[in-house]
Amino acid sequence: MGLIFIRTSIIFITLLIIMRLMGKRQIGEMQPYEFVITLIIAELACIPMGDPAIPLTYGIVAILSIYFLHQVVCLIDLKWPKGKKLISGTPAVVLNKNGIDDYQLKKNNLNVTDLIESLRVAGYFSLDAVDYALYESNGSLSVLPKTDYEETQNSLPLVLVSEGQFDANNLTKTQKTKEYFLNVFKEQGCDELKNILLCTIDGNGKLYIQNKGKRYQTLRLKWEEKLW
Amino acid sequence: MVKTIISIIVTFLLIVGLTVFELIYVNLSFEDFRAVLCGLYEKTENSNATHEDGLTVQKFWEDKKKYLHVWLPHTSIEGVDVHLSEALGYLYEGRYTDALPKIEVLIDMTENIPHVFELDWGNIF
Repeated sequence: MGLIFIRTSIIFITLLIIMRLMGKRQIGEMQPYEFVITLIIAELACIPMGDPAIPLTYGIVAILSIYFLHQVVCLIDLKWPKGKKLISGTPAVVLNKNGIDDYQLKKNNLNVTDLIESLRVAGYFSLDAVDYALYESNGSLSVLPKTDYEETQNSLPLVLVSEGQFDANNLTKTQKTKEYFLNVFKEQGCDELKNILLCTIDGNGKLYIQNKGKRYQTLRLKWEEKLW
Repeated sequence: MVKTIISIIVTFLLIVGLTVFELIYVNLSFEDFRAVLCGLYEKTENSNATHEDGLTVQKFWEDKKKYLHVWLPHTSIEGVDVHLSEALGYLYEGRYTDALPKIEVLIDMTENIPHVFELDWGNIF
């Protein structure tokens, strides 16, 4: 039984370290240790259930071990802030008043498309509609919108440029050429496409541009009609 | 928080208690079985062992394994069953020279099986 306890603990700690290293995208809505427990507890219950050659006590002790480890981690969470930071991580502010924080995104193994997707799921379609966006330690996104955010969202923004690359499909929807947008970027002080972290455009011609390491800008292009 | 601490202590004590009990129970069970097997080995060496002696040993093992099933994988127990049946078969036919190695294997198994459950580096990994 002692062997099972030790082996279960080793697997638990290994999985916990791996989940923390993988970043927030794998976790979903749970703390890393909760996700680990969810992963292994079902297996631990099923193996002795399905295999009569394995004594049931093995499954029971393994599950008891998981419970013990869960309680220990909860206690650490409650009583030791540094331990909580190590086990569960800290919230990451990925979008602030200056725009997207690329460093925080990469630190959590995320990219701008993941952020845009998470914002859309939360009901925010324009990046300039939001003051702050944080990925919590359980992987969920918290958003502080601007007070007038609904007025900034009246057409769906599409990603035009991401990490220095044009999105060909979305470019077609704008009915404009690459050269047209490259000229626009030059006018905004961006000579090289590869320096653009993200550029979105909506059907009204509202452009959101963020260069790497710089504050974002928005501008409205002179379009004759609303395209979408 | 008090509830959490109490649950940690109780679970830990339960796991430690089960571990200690398992180690002691499995070791004692196999020690007793080894003693019985050594007696059978001596008789077989002297060509005095009968099939009934073998059946007595088998009955002893049947009683032990009823509770050992709770602590050991059934494959370990099956291994002992197979060798014991073979040894009994040889004793029934009076083939003492063939029965001796089987009983030796059984005696080795009674020493090795409990080691598999000890807390050491090789068993953990």
